[in-house]
Amino acid sequence: MLARHAEDLFWAGRYLERAEDTARMLDVTYHGLLEGGSSDTESAWRLLLEALHLAHPYYAKHPSVSSRAVAEYLVADPNQPSSIISAIARARENARNVREHLSTELWEALNSCFLELRARDLEAELAAQPHELYREIRTRCQTIAGAGGETMPRSDPWRFFRLGRLIERAEMTCRMLRVRAPRRALRSGFHDFLLVLNSVSALEAYTRVHGADIDPARVIAFLLLSPDFPRSVLFCVRATDELLTQLDTGAPSARPRRTLGRIRAELEYQDADELRAFGEKGVLDRAQSGIWEVAELVEETFFASGPQPQRHIFGPAA
Amino acid sequence: MPGDRLPGYQRAAGFDEAILESLDVRSHYAAVFDELSRLGAPELASRERLRDAIFRRLGITFAVYGDASGAERTWPMDLVPRILHAGEWAEIERGLAQRTRALNLFLEDLYVGERAILRDGIVPAWLVFSSEGFVREAVGLPAPHGARCVVAGIDLVRDFDGTFRVLEDNLRTPSGISYVLQNRAALTRVLPRLSARCRIRPVHQYGSSLLTALHSLAPHASHDGPRVVVLTPGIWNSAYFEHAFLAQQMGAELCEGRDLVVEDQVVYMRTTRGLERVDVIYRRVDDAFVDPALFRQDSVLGVPGLISALRAGNVSIANSLGCGVADDKAVYPYVPAMIRFYLGEEPILPNVETYLLWEPDQREHALSRLDQLVVKPVAASGGYGIVMGPQATADQLEICRKEIEQNPRGFIAQELVQLSSHPTFIDGKLEARHIDLRPFVLTGARTEVFPGGLTRVALRRGSFVVNSSQGGGSKDTWVLEESA
Repeated sequence: MLARHAEDLFWAGRYLERAEDTARMLDVTYHGLLEGGSSDTESAWRLLLEALHLAHPYYAKHPSVSSRAVAEYLVADPNQPSSIISAIARARENARNVREHLSTELWEALNSCFLELRARDLEAELAAQPHELYREIRTRCQTIAGAGGETMPRSDPWRFFRLGRLIERAEMTCRMLRVRAPRRALRSGFHDFLLVLNSVSALEAYTRVHGADIDPARVIAFLLLSPDFPRSVLFCVRATDELLTQLDTGAPSARPRRTLGRIRAELEYQDADELRAFGEKGVLDRAQSGIWEVAELVEETFFASGPQPQRHIFGPAA
Repeated sequence: MPGDRLPGYQRAAGFDEAILESLDVRSHYAAVFDELSRLGAPELASRERLRDAIFRRLGITFAVYGDASGAERTWPMDLVPRILHAGEWAEIERGLAQRTRALNLFLEDLYVGERAILRDGIVPAWLVFSSEGFVREAVGLPAPHGARCVVAGIDLVRDFDGTFRVLEDNLRTPSGISYVLQNRAALTRVLPRLSARCRIRPVHQYGSSLLTALHSLAPHASHDGPRVVVLTPGIWNSAYFEHAFLAQQMGAELCEGRDLVVEDQVVYMRTTRGLERVDVIYRRVDDAFVDPALFRQDSVLGVPGLISALRAGNVSIANSLGCGVADDKAVYPYVPAMIRFYLGEEPILPNVETYLLWEPDQREHALSRLDQLVVKPVAASGGYGIVMGPQATADQLEICRKEIEQNPRGFIAQELVQLSSHPTFIDGKLEARHIDLRPFVLTGARTEVFPGGLTRVALRRGSFVVNSSQGGGSKDTWVLEESA
């Protein structure tokens, strides 16, 4: 398929995942504060901004941190390229360019999500019922992905869309763990890591494996290494590897697969107890930078022959 | 059945496609009106809602110019189909094939031939070389089978006595065929029994016919069949929907200029597996934007170096560059002479009576009757810049007169054609509305006239303006099979 179309599908997937993950993180941060026990309001929101690599741009625009201001910045600010409303708009824009490659049901779900969010007064909803809004965004993103999953043939367009989602998700999980990990020794550690699990809908899955013992090191190991949980880093890495194998008809994806193989091997052979004993920082850093590298190699390998407009934001520099 | 009548229907002046002066229904429309009256007005209103829902869901909408809210309207297709019986169509088909062959021979003569038609003084050379549509860079460019105008849209109107006349030729990037297919698909779903009662020639094969024509242009035999792509200006173009639709129908990639690259005079598209060779480009980008290296430097729509690949014969393009010279409205009056010159035949479809304003006698005559004539700028299409004499104010006519006197080459004047009318659903009642017809002609290794075409309707009473941007609608257009 055309390189430009593949790139548009890849980014439609990334933006969609970004919107969903941002809504998840906002929701748990907000609830963490309501339920109490956590750190103070300001540091909770700052932590979230740091996880999203948005602390600097936020402070450039806002003198201080408040629940309202951060939520509006991350949800409804049309000038903030990573806000949920911007991410949905970009996902739709990318999808519109490749409309003929998408199933009508996927397109309709994405298009109506965008049109409806745009028509609403999001700031008023954030003031009144933020949880409802976050839940709705999450559900809608899942509906879009589900409509695609149930109606698109497993051919290259689908693979590039899915690849975008998986890479973004793996990266988001890494980001969140990196921000939270240094805080595990704090008194609020238990509470913090309960939130981490909740934000990726992993509390139930974790509890089934480890019981209700919310041990920070175990949570980190679970979200990094669980082979079964669909939002763990290893799970995403494996699924990405499978997609790259399918996209491969010879040499093209050799380079992203090589890098991915390294991350995959390290995570697969990682011993959870060792991770607890020696700390996860090295593993986490290597996983995250490896994922960045894979994303860049995917761009180079599959999209490089295509035209290269500067339209995407991504990566360690953000 | 003959003898059926349409109570309460008011014929408009001129030819009515479906209803005789006696208000009897023409026999080839009998089954349709029988079925429509069986359904009745309330049921038809609910079918209209179903039709709108179908078009909205498919996203077949268009923006209404001048509507500040930016609201999009669904595609306005009237539920009453326009029907051409086999005999009528046979004549049109022969006439269109004849005309398109002559136009292609004219283009071939100008760009790679000896320009016999200019040498013999049939068409004035100065007129050709002063045409905005004449592209010097296209001189010498090869066109397989002499197929320069591969897709032609030739607008027909039907005058007072029912004679079909050619109103204008569209030989560059004519659009509208996707609506022909969508109209048929929608009407078949909305009123299934209507079409079941008649034997209608199908239209769904257009994508495959177009692909066959494009394949026949491939410059060289290739291992797994020639690769065809559709070249679009991009998503903001008003016909983008059609470009995407045709790409999908043909199973071709929908490319923008930036997806194609020329290396060593060969065109490639940029794919996820690297560069892949392209053999035929169906382009929906204007001549001036095709190759920024030669034409508009500011264009980001085109493909730098494309001309060199065309010149080398490594890729074919449809329609070929420079077709606009043949649909220049100042060249249009000479098409009947072209038919006689190249084919030695009498034209089957007449033109509309046209005055050449650069000829002093004809200009004087036209200027004295400006309030009765239609004046058109020669290079424009889509109805832009037209002055309708009978509707124009004295000031408008005066401006028009001055413009003609300053630039007589820039305009033609035509007799006003009283367009034929057709029963059309307006607020639940059948009323007469004026219509035209744009059939499509495909030329590859051979010429194929596509059955029917796009019928456009002026939805305002008495109006002759059929453009969808100005309140025009459309009709599914049926060509009946030969009766056994």
